[in-house]
Amino acid sequence: MRKGMLVDLTRCIGCRACQVACKQWNDLPAEETQNWGSYQNPAALSADTWTLVEFTEVDEGDGLQWVFAKRQCMHCLHPACASACPVGAFHQTEQGAVVYDPARCIGCRYCMVVCPFGVPKLEWEEPLPFVRKCRFCVDRLEAGLEPACAKACPTDAIVFGNRDDLIAEAEERIRNQPGRYVDHVYGKDELGGTSWLYLSAVPFDKLGFPTLGPEPVTTLSEVVATYGTPSIAVTVAAVLGGLYYWFSRREKNMHAEQDAEQEEREAS
Amino acid sequence: MSKTRKLQAAIVVILGIVTLVGGIAAIARFVQGLGPTTNLSDAYPWGLWIVYDVFFIPFSAGAFMISAVTHIYDRHEYYPIARPVIVAGFLGYVFVVVVLLMDLARWHRFYNILIPWYWNLHSFMFEVSMCITVYTVILVLEVAPAILERLNWQKPLRLIRFATVVIAGAGIVLSSLHQSSLGSLFLLMPYKLHPLWWTPLLPLFFFAAAAFSGLSMAIFVAVVSFKAFGRDLKLGLLSDLAKIVAIMLGIYLAIKIGDLLTAGEMGLLFTEGWLSVLFLAEIVIGAVVPFVLFLTRKGRETSSGLVWGSACVLVGLALNRTNVALLALNAPPGATYFPHWIEIAVSIAAVAAGVLLFFLATRFLPVLPEPAVARDEATT
Ligand code: SF4
Ligand code: SF4
Ligand code: SF4
Repeated sequence: MRKGMLVDLTRCIGCRACQVACKQWNDLPAEETQNWGSYQNPAALSADTWTLVEFTEVDEGDGLQWVFAKRQCMHCLHPACASACPVGAFHQTEQGAVVYDPARCIGCRYCMVVCPFGVPKLEWEEPLPFVRKCRFCVDRLEAGLEPACAKACPTDAIVFGNRDDLIAEAEERIRNQPGRYVDHVYGKDELGGTSWLYLSAVPFDKLGFPTLGPEPVTTLSEVVATYGTPSIAVTVAAVLGGLYYWFSRREKNMHAEQDAEQEEREAS
Repeated sequence: MSKTRKLQAAIVVILGIVTLVGGIAAIARFVQGLGPTTNLSDAYPWGLWIVYDVFFIPFSAGAFMISAVTHIYDRHEYYPIARPVIVAGFLGYVFVVVVLLMDLARWHRFYNILIPWYWNLHSFMFEVSMCITVYTVILVLEVAPAILERLNWQKPLRLIRFATVVIAGAGIVLSSLHQSSLGSLFLLMPYKLHPLWWTPLLPLFFFAAAAFSGLSMAIFVAVVSFKAFGRDLKLGLLSDLAKIVAIMLGIYLAIKIGDLLTAGEMGLLFTEGWLSVLFLAEIVIGAVVPFVLFLTRKGRETSSGLVWGSACVLVGLALNRTNVALLALNAPPGATYFPHWIEIAVSIAAVAAGVLLFFLATRFLPVLPEPAVARDEATT
């Protein structure tokens, strides 16, 4: 069964309990932070910070307001990172978590470049670094527990459940309180769907969520890899073979003609 | 004579020093890791070294283009230029592999790519890595005759000669795949790569660019190396190649414009600020100028025309690859990247080492035809 998370930004109070819980459960070191002019801390996701509450100031007509948005890996249903990795270091579990196998990684960083959400991060300070990101607390999921961040959330802004149920729940919330939400469950259709879903009072593009179509980014690339590559190989080989045959025959004919001419000359 | 000798010695020394500095920088990178020795970051995971690779892979394609012409179609008149071009392509490739290894964050596990149960057949990074590995082996086989002749090892030499057509054929197939899959790497990034560059036709464009850039590299290397070593060169051969380059450039331009038109993106040529400028620069310098130049007789039939035209194509290629792999990929707002001196030193050293080895190869291996025999060989 596909699991999911529903993050309702209208319920989030910006307490960062999820951020701390994630660090604790996953044994991630604290980061040395600097004041960079925002309450958001640290400034971006990193190898040591797999989830981050982003603070965005928006003006929706009734004055400035803060919107808090917990960000992390979206656990795409069609993960670009997994499609990209040459050595299959990313795979999707049955429950929908996209997880990383450190033993396979060669560090090409293609996953980092292709992820539409910019999620995978590298341990830049290590001589032989790994790629790191939110792993949907697979160990907890497998033990039948909810992820650490969902458990820690005091306002139920993050809820864990079956993805289908969460979509129904999200749509229900929009129907019941249309004034409270924009009519968009982010992650339901984006790139063919993501396991993590969001509800918000302000349009998502104002919060820095990328605007994405319903087509998975992996489709084109995988179709080209499956059909394009062999057909290019076959076509090139065929064209080469054909030309080679043609040239060597022409050469033979030319030789034959020359021989014939010579014979004629000798005969006359 | 002694003056040119001195000049040559000076060049060798300078190239050697540059290589040495780069080698030391490379050691620092391996000891300390990518973080302290490059300016790469989570915002810019790819930088100068990736650009180096996506440029030199099509540059080196000249080797397979020329080996195709000589081995498969038996065009004997191209033999004299085949060896220097194949050696240049081989060296280009060797340093692609070196720089690629430098760029792998977990380089000590590069052999994971050879473990069959790890293979991800959907991944173009897999395809690229595989092609690099196999194609390097093929290039070794293509270069081997020059070395074996020198050492006078007849047996392996005969074996390789016997398999030449097969080797050349396999090389061409692989190299074509390789060039197009390099473009396919970016198919996964419709939201990352700027729409002026992102198109489903990326594999086709990368393949076409490799074909005309490879030929241009062949023209460039042939003219320059024959000139530098004072050997005779029949320009007629190269004019024919230049004509093919012009035809390919024409087709490339037509498809590029057609693609922008059908995607309704012509307007982007003027609205995207410096990205528009970069795109236009790449098209004008790399395609329009050499296209026009090689259409004229003067451009095709003089050595200066040939050198300038092929240099334009190569500069255009460099621009194109820098744009696609770095400048036109969107990064988080506020993030910047400029290569660290170690990245620059290593890249320059890779080129310098390549030129140095090419120089030594032409001096000590039978790469260029002997000055006196050259004319006889060409006529037989
Ligand atoms: S958000 Fe990025 S890292 Fe996470 S599953 Fe999707 S593509 Fe992979
Ligand atoms: S960096 Fe590692 S996980 Fe990411 S694509 Fe490369 S090999 Fe795969
Ligand atoms: S699911 Fe687990 S790993 Fe992911 S953000 Fe929540 S606590 Fe962190």
